[in-house]
Amino acid sequence: MIKIACIQSNLMGKEPQNEKIIPMPAATLSKKHILGIEGMPIPEINALLDRANYFAEQSKETFSTILANKTVLNIFFENSTRTKVSFELAAKRLGASVLNISVSGSSVKKGETLIDTATTLNAMQPDILVVRHHSSGAPLLLSQHVDAAVINAGDGRHEHPTQALLDALTIKRSLGRISGLKIAICGDINNSRVARSNMYLLSALGADVRFVSPSTLVSPFFSDIGIPIYTDMEQGISECEIVMMLRLQTERMEGREAPSKHEYFNLFGLDHHKLQKAAPNALIMHPGPMNRGVEIDSKIADDNNKSLIRMQVELGVATRMACLEAVAGETL
Amino acid sequence: MTRTLLKNGRIICPAENLDIIGDIIIERDKIAYVGTEKFENKRPNLIIECDGCIIMPGAIDMRVQSADPGAEHLEPLSDLLSAAGNAGITQLVSLPATSPAVDSAVMIDSLKLRASSYKGALFHLYGAMTKALENKQMAELGMMAKAGAVGFANDLKSVEDSLLMRRIMTYAKMLNKPVIHHCADPYLTNETDMNESETAIRLGLIGVPAVAETIMLQRDLNLVALTGCRYHAAHISTASSVEALRRAKSQGLHVTADTSPAYFLLNDRATGDYDTAFRLDPPLRDEKDRLSIIEGIKDGTIDVIVSDHRPIELDKKMLPFGQASAGAPGIETLLPLAFSLYHTSNISLSKIINALTVAPANAISLTIPRLAIGEQANITVVNLSSSNVVRGANFMSQSQITPFEHYPIDSKVVGCFVNGISMTK
Repeated sequence: MIKIACIQSNLMGKEPQNEKIIPMPAATLSKKHILGIEGMPIPEINALLDRANYFAEQSKETFSTILANKTVLNIFFENSTRTKVSFELAAKRLGASVLNISVSGSSVKKGETLIDTATTLNAMQPDILVVRHHSSGAPLLLSQHVDAAVINAGDGRHEHPTQALLDALTIKRSLGRISGLKIAICGDINNSRVARSNMYLLSALGADVRFVSPSTLVSPFFSDIGIPIYTDMEQGISECEIVMMLRLQTERMEGREAPSKHEYFNLFGLDHHKLQKAAPNALIMHPGPMNRGVEIDSKIADDNNKSLIRMQVELGVATRMACLEAVAGETL
Repeated sequence: MTRTLLKNGRIICPAENLDIIGDIIIERDKIAYVGTEKFENKRPNLIIECDGCIIMPGAIDMRVQSADPGAEHLEPLSDLLSAAGNAGITQLVSLPATSPAVDSAVMIDSLKLRASSYKGALFHLYGAMTKALENKQMAELGMMAKAGAVGFANDLKSVEDSLLMRRIMTYAKMLNKPVIHHCADPYLTNETDMNESETAIRLGLIGVPAVAETIMLQRDLNLVALTGCRYHAAHISTASSVEALRRAKSQGLHVTADTSPAYFLLNDRATGDYDTAFRLDPPLRDEKDRLSIIEGIKDGTIDVIVSDHRPIELDKKMLPFGQASAGAPGIETLLPLAFSLYHTSNISLSKIINALTVAPANAISLTIPRLAIGEQANITVVNLSSSNVVRGANFMSQSQITPFEHYPIDSKVVGCFVNGISMTK
């Protein structure tokens, strides 16, 4: 079971909009890298969230010396727009020098292995490596061969820790708490690193997390590790305060894991009708990029009273600032 | 004349139903004496004290992939045979997935000729079931049989086409040779990383269900019933496959099977933090499967214990788990790991020795190894009370990533004779 008692953080149960901002210290981590949420101590999660919240409250320019003289390399072995830009902005707001490297276009094509790439980059003495890779476990492997601190920006089907942290921050800032909330994570669970990181994080902070998915896209082993599975969307999101939709790759809905897009949207797409089963004023999240009209109705996605999607993107930068600062502490 | 005395060991020979404390005398390439009388006056050139050791017929490893030809730098054939001899293996059978594949008589001739000039374990070969191991067209089985192929095998992809498999079995039966098949349903197995399990979910790796093996095995068993072919199921790893084999044997089908130490000593939780040493094919299964494999060995459903030796380049292991090559060297750890069944699972020495000698010889029709006067002196001596741990760095092979790194072992090969010549260093 991954459900662990929730430790109150400074934000818990408060309305952040109405209070004076108390400066929060930089988070201190027991490990050098941020490779995943699994196993991360709750006080560290809360420290990152509190610090990220503090960053979010301040003007952009306030922290421009924290990572002065630090070099952050964004190494993306897989395409990404929002995560890469988010990390780049975060690093720049902290005053770091940032380099973006899209490895898929360069050395990988020439047959260089991940460890060779790591060794080469290591020789250039960066302080922080932000890594996205299509293989689960790749950031761990890389971290074993470099001196820099490594932040996992998404690895295969494994974890996407900064996404889960920004999701948690979004929920906290919207509803004032996480503990006790009913949260449905809906869609392609098996192939989702966002689902895994969120299941660890939100459960650790005391939320009641459930997965909603066609049985072809969610392994029964998830229920063995303590997450209830619903294959009926209306039942699954019933009384949930948060409905988090996941992106589903189109080809999976065209006969592989679901018969058609039409059927998928009919049974598992989020529309106004299904949303009525959720708690009144339920909020919608999506890590992006969205398939409008496939997993989520455009009207819901664009409804600013219900959708937290823009806020997720905004808070991504503050969350990643907190993470960069925390791992930089290890390399100071 | 060279005369070696193996003195005062526990002599266990399943084929002779022998389990005594006594001596063996080797003269030239043959066994000249087995018994309990003392032979001080025979004046041996060499006396090997075997107190506390077992003396067994030379082990036969019927599942070894040679890296040569194709990746000689990793493990040339000469090194493979010498490492096998040093590890107590007196005969080995090489799989056809070399580069080029062993799919013709000329490949068999050439490899046998080369092997005959090296000191080490005796060398046998399987021919490929299909041309270039592509599972499309039957290879020249008859000519390979004439050249000395002891059976026909595939690589790590099963023959999916049931009609082709039926014809291979029918043809192999005509040649009186066994078919050795790696069983995995290609659709369930394609692009998977490890056993379907909680660990796979946690690591975000793609799981293959255990039944992928059994589905293919069960199809094969039905074809065996249809064709009457001699069939050997390779590296069995799941409880349901053990059950399918048990049923087939009780129905009287001519079926044998092997497994390797990974499947009776390790489970899929070992994959823990993406350690590619544990990336094997078939993948490590769950604890229930592991225990069923031990039961299968105990009751004879699984006849043979093999090393499933497959040298892998370091570069192919230093990759993210999903991209790493499956397999591990095993020839140098086969005997100590097999004997751990005696220490940990209460399986008799005679049963283990049988699975390493008589059973493989039966499966592929080699001469049954015996410790008896006049027999070829193929003998292995094992000290059963030698505490140690496995260290890949000590392997003779350049392929040194083993799932058994630091694994404790309680036995050690201390002597090995192939046709009377000592192989141990």
